[in-house]
Amino acid sequence: MNSIILSALWGVLMMYTGVVSRSNKAPGIMAALGAALLMGAAWLDLNGVSLAPFDLHGMLEFPPYVSGFILLMSLCLLLYVLLSNDEIDRLTGHSADYLALIFFVMTGVIIVASFKTLLMMFLGVEIMSIPLYILAASDKRNLKSNEAGLKYFLMGSFSTGIMLMGIALLYGSFGTFYTAALNIGFLALSPLTLAGIVLLMVSMAFKVSAAPFHFWTPDVYDGTPSVFTSFMATIVKAAAFFGFLRLFEGAFGKLHEQWQILTAIITAATLLIGNLTAVFQQSVKRMLAYSSIAQAGFMMFALFAMNATARQGLVLYGVSYSLATIGVFAVLAKMKDQTFEGFNGLATHKPFLALMLTVYLLSLAGIPLTAGFFAKYYMLLAALKTGQMLWLVILAVLSAAVGIYYYFRVIQAMYFKEGADQEVETSSGFRATLLVTAVIIVLLGVHPDWVIALVNY
Amino acid sequence: MSITQILFWFLSALSILSALMMVTSRNPVHSVLWLILVFFAISGHYILMNAQFLAIVNMIVYAGAIMVLFLFVIMLMNMNAETEPQKNKWLKMAGAIGSGTLLLVLVAALRDSELRGRTLEGPEGTIGLVKQLGAVLFTDYVVPFEISSVLFLSAMVGAVLIGKKD
Repeated sequence: MNSIILSALWGVLMMYTGVVSRSNKAPGIMAALGAALLMGAAWLDLNGVSLAPFDLHGMLEFPPYVSGFILLMSLCLLLYVLLSNDEIDRLTGHSADYLALIFFVMTGVIIVASFKTLLMMFLGVEIMSIPLYILAASDKRNLKSNEAGLKYFLMGSFSTGIMLMGIALLYGSFGTFYTAALNIGFLALSPLTLAGIVLLMVSMAFKVSAAPFHFWTPDVYDGTPSVFTSFMATIVKAAAFFGFLRLFEGAFGKLHEQWQILTAIITAATLLIGNLTAVFQQSVKRMLAYSSIAQAGFMMFALFAMNATARQGLVLYGVSYSLATIGVFAVLAKMKDQTFEGFNGLATHKPFLALMLTVYLLSLAGIPLTAGFFAKYYMLLAALKTGQMLWLVILAVLSAAVGIYYYFRVIQAMYFKEGADQEVETSSGFRATLLVTAVIIVLLGVHPDWVIALVNY
Repeated sequence: MSITQILFWFLSALSILSALMMVTSRNPVHSVLWLILVFFAISGHYILMNAQFLAIVNMIVYAGAIMVLFLFVIMLMNMNAETEPQKNKWLKMAGAIGSGTLLLVLVAALRDSELRGRTLEGPEGTIGLVKQLGAVLFTDYVVPFEISSVLFLSAMVGAVLIGKKD
């Protein structure tokens, strides 16, 4: 609860920062401070210290597993803010307001991670989505950004409607919003419940952009300014997956056999569509959009398997994917030419940036010694432990191999092709943060047990 | 048949009819007007169930505020039957099949569910009165109530950010 209050209040504080201070450094410093404090608040939650001991009526809970996830997401937020503030300022001219929205989204992220009733889940998902529609449309002079905002808004509202319909059906058959009360196994198995489960699965699959509900993703991720794409593709997506897993484990866990085949189909479709379409992209940003669909396919394994390994693996996957993607997008946002050709010869002119990008891309591809490897390993291990549908694991390994192709195309362009020098302005703070991100990725690649221990506590 | 039952059937028929007219009418302005009628019919249903607060809110917010905004937007965009974009035949067919399947599932689910005869409260019930609602909202549901303020604040900030010139 500490973290929810802090991030909501910090959002308000950020708006005042924009009014009080005219300097364009102040919002970034305040936001970074807020993210660091958020880590502290989550750490207090983790240790069971509550600064605001309200009676929550059992609507939210903060077990170590949840608080650990919030802590890690706050870390990602800190790195994101440090890497992106200059870019947001350059894009919009008043970064404080947009950073305020980002803190509001963070409130939604924490609620989605910690809900215990469908009501709170709905509120969390909405708090998470509505500021994102604004962020998508934030480049007001750019038609593509407008299109992205409108498209995301319409599709997102529609999927929220489907979610509400599902919640209404479930409430109709149980008379309660509490997920624990819904989880009574086969006694609960009525046509109304099944229809509700399917509708909830559709809307959550939409929020995490799993196929066949992914059609909005490429356009929205491509049209949104890169700084904000990096936020919505990472922290928000990881939180949506975390909420997805908590919802289906908490409310329908005992009916797992009933809907497991659905998740298997969604997983397979997401892996295939994401990876195969990513191969044919000419723009790196669009490639990353499709690759984020492919990564969602791997995260779907958590729902397919739904065991202890899957739970730990999802947190590890969320963190490693978020860190690597934030890093790639931070560099990408600074580049003028965002096609593969734009990266030609980057290694000779900007060796540091190229090296950092290589680490991130290796992690996304899942090469050992980076966090991405163990993330994928845990997801596949979780699926193997169920002992069912081996073909799905084989498909995942094959699509990981396809993934290596398009991630390495960027690395190949940077190191083995000739290209003209281009202007990429980076401050020393920016480079230091990139280095820290890369170091964390490598450390987690060697010691994934740190994250696992955190969420097990 | 009591007066309540007659009203129930009348309102049901009215809401279904206006909903169909809303979907099928070619002129968007007519669609909006039919939709307003749907909202009024549904508000009538709420009153029949003695949920007065819900009925009034439904009328003020949906039929009043949102629909007026809708009308404004549609009139500003000057949409009419001539400028309506032609949709792909396959797209229409896919839409019909998709929503038809959903309809089938929902109808089957509602038909087989054991909700018939299970009523929470009769028309004399007090559950929908403002007093009851307020008491529940500020005791059991105070957490979501407070948290929804973050939602409204972020929506407000967003609307200002999108609308302001820079």
